[in-house]
Amino acid sequence: MDTLREILDPNFLLGNSVYISLLVGLVCPLVGVYLTLRRLIFMGVALPQISSCGVAFAFALQAWGIIPHVHESEHSLAFIGSTLFTVPTILLLSFMVRRGGGAIESRLGTVYVLAGAASILLLVTNPMGEHGLLDMLKGEIIAVTNADVRRTAATFGAVVLTIFLFRKEFLLVSFDREMAITLKKNVVFWDGLLFLLIGLAISMTVLSVGPLVAFGFLLIPPLIAHMFARNMRQFALLASAIGGFNALLGFCIAYRLDFPVGPTDVALLGILYGLGFPIKKILGLFRAKPEEARIAHSA
Amino acid sequence: MTEESLLILENVAVGYGRRVVLPEVNLRLRRGSFSGLLGANGSGKSTLLKTVLGILPPLGGQITLTPINGQAPVLGYMPQRESLDPIYPLSSYEIVLMAACGRVGPGRFFNKAERQFARQCLAETGAADLASKLFSQLSGGQKQRVLMARALATKPDFMLLDEPTAGIDAHATRAVMEVLKQIHAQRHQTVLLVSHDLGTVREYAQDVIWLHEGKVLHGAVSDLLTRDKIEELLDLELH
Repeated sequence: MDTLREILDPNFLLGNSVYISLLVGLVCPLVGVYLTLRRLIFMGVALPQISSCGVAFAFALQAWGIIPHVHESEHSLAFIGSTLFTVPTILLLSFMVRRGGGAIESRLGTVYVLAGAASILLLVTNPMGEHGLLDMLKGEIIAVTNADVRRTAATFGAVVLTIFLFRKEFLLVSFDREMAITLKKNVVFWDGLLFLLIGLAISMTVLSVGPLVAFGFLLIPPLIAHMFARNMRQFALLASAIGGFNALLGFCIAYRLDFPVGPTDVALLGILYGLGFPIKKILGLFRAKPEEARIAHSA
Repeated sequence: MTEESLLILENVAVGYGRRVVLPEVNLRLRRGSFSGLLGANGSGKSTLLKTVLGILPPLGGQITLTPINGQAPVLGYMPQRESLDPIYPLSSYEIVLMAACGRVGPGRFFNKAERQFARQCLAETGAADLASKLFSQLSGGQKQRVLMARALATKPDFMLLDEPTAGIDAHATRAVMEVLKQIHAQRHQTVLLVSHDLGTVREYAQDVIWLHEGKVLHGAVSDLLTRDKIEELLDLELH
């Protein structure tokens, strides 16, 4: 409790890191909900890696002298690199998923390993950026500036607002594309917008906390929430709440035990996921009892 | 006759990509009619239905949906329940409310009237008590009732149902078909029902469209679904 009070203190030295963790914890699961529902979980693994590759590529351009090195614009450059790699890839992959034909997992796996290999090769060619990028890949959430927090909050705010405003359209085209067509919805537009938002969120998350933490928060909170949700609203809110809670608790544990924040967050998510199964079983027993009583009563 | 037709298909070819399933379909469906679309597995029933719905583009010919009061008719589509992914944690009520997306524009919320109407549609199909239950956990017959409520909630001029009785028991089949019969009778709704169940079509439909070996036969149930005609079409002897 003392640790929690300490990290939530406005004068806490790593306050920005706490805010970034919390933002990622709250927002990534909301985006991950759609990846889970559309059975694109593998995409949630591959895309952060692509995004990291985009960041590494953007920094490599500086190292190769193609782009002048300006320290102030590094973050923007990384964001552009990340987004330019992530958004076209997600659009292409989603198109391939829609077309079917199987073997999408193998394609995603290939994209994942190629992006991972390319990131490392690009890092090697860029000794200047190596240190910072390695921290990012490890999930170190330490050196966060006020500007980083503002940028992340603005991007996530735009993503969440758009998802909230158009949630019925996104849900309709995801759940029943055919019905959406009969209702004269432009399914290509809504699909494209949804994937653009997912791409933006992933780019910003990878930039802020690295691919490992992005994987974790995109996928695990929605998987936990899916066990308990009885409708879509519960699903989205529960996933976001689990992510936020995990981010805060993970930060406390990492701070207390001097662990890196990212891996601690992901390990904690794994523990919560594991706990979800027995909790669901127990809740199931409680739910079954009133149902049995109702049946017995009506009989 | 033309004024009364809601759907007109002229020399329409249907299929997927380059694969033609039905090379030439000529049909007229009367407004307020209840038609059964019959055929064996793979005969092109669902393909034809999806082409009429605009889900698949026609490979040729002309499809006309006659405007009603100057507006394109609203289509109430009931897909096969297996086509809907059970991973979505959607309550039955949320499923039905989706139908209002045709009337409530992007960025707008469902108002009280739409929410009430969704509940009313659930009640009309005898599924009011399923509103808060997860759609994925319902039985086959219950799912069909919910999906019929969703088709109704579009406020359709033309209801198109893809195999609404497939895979459900005789009791549930009767219940679903009675609801549909009631809707047709009360609302004078045009209904096109895809089925491979000859008995269901014979009992509930007025007209039948029979897809057989790439040909399309259209007529009254009393003309097409006679013992002699079926024997002739299927080239077998019924006992």
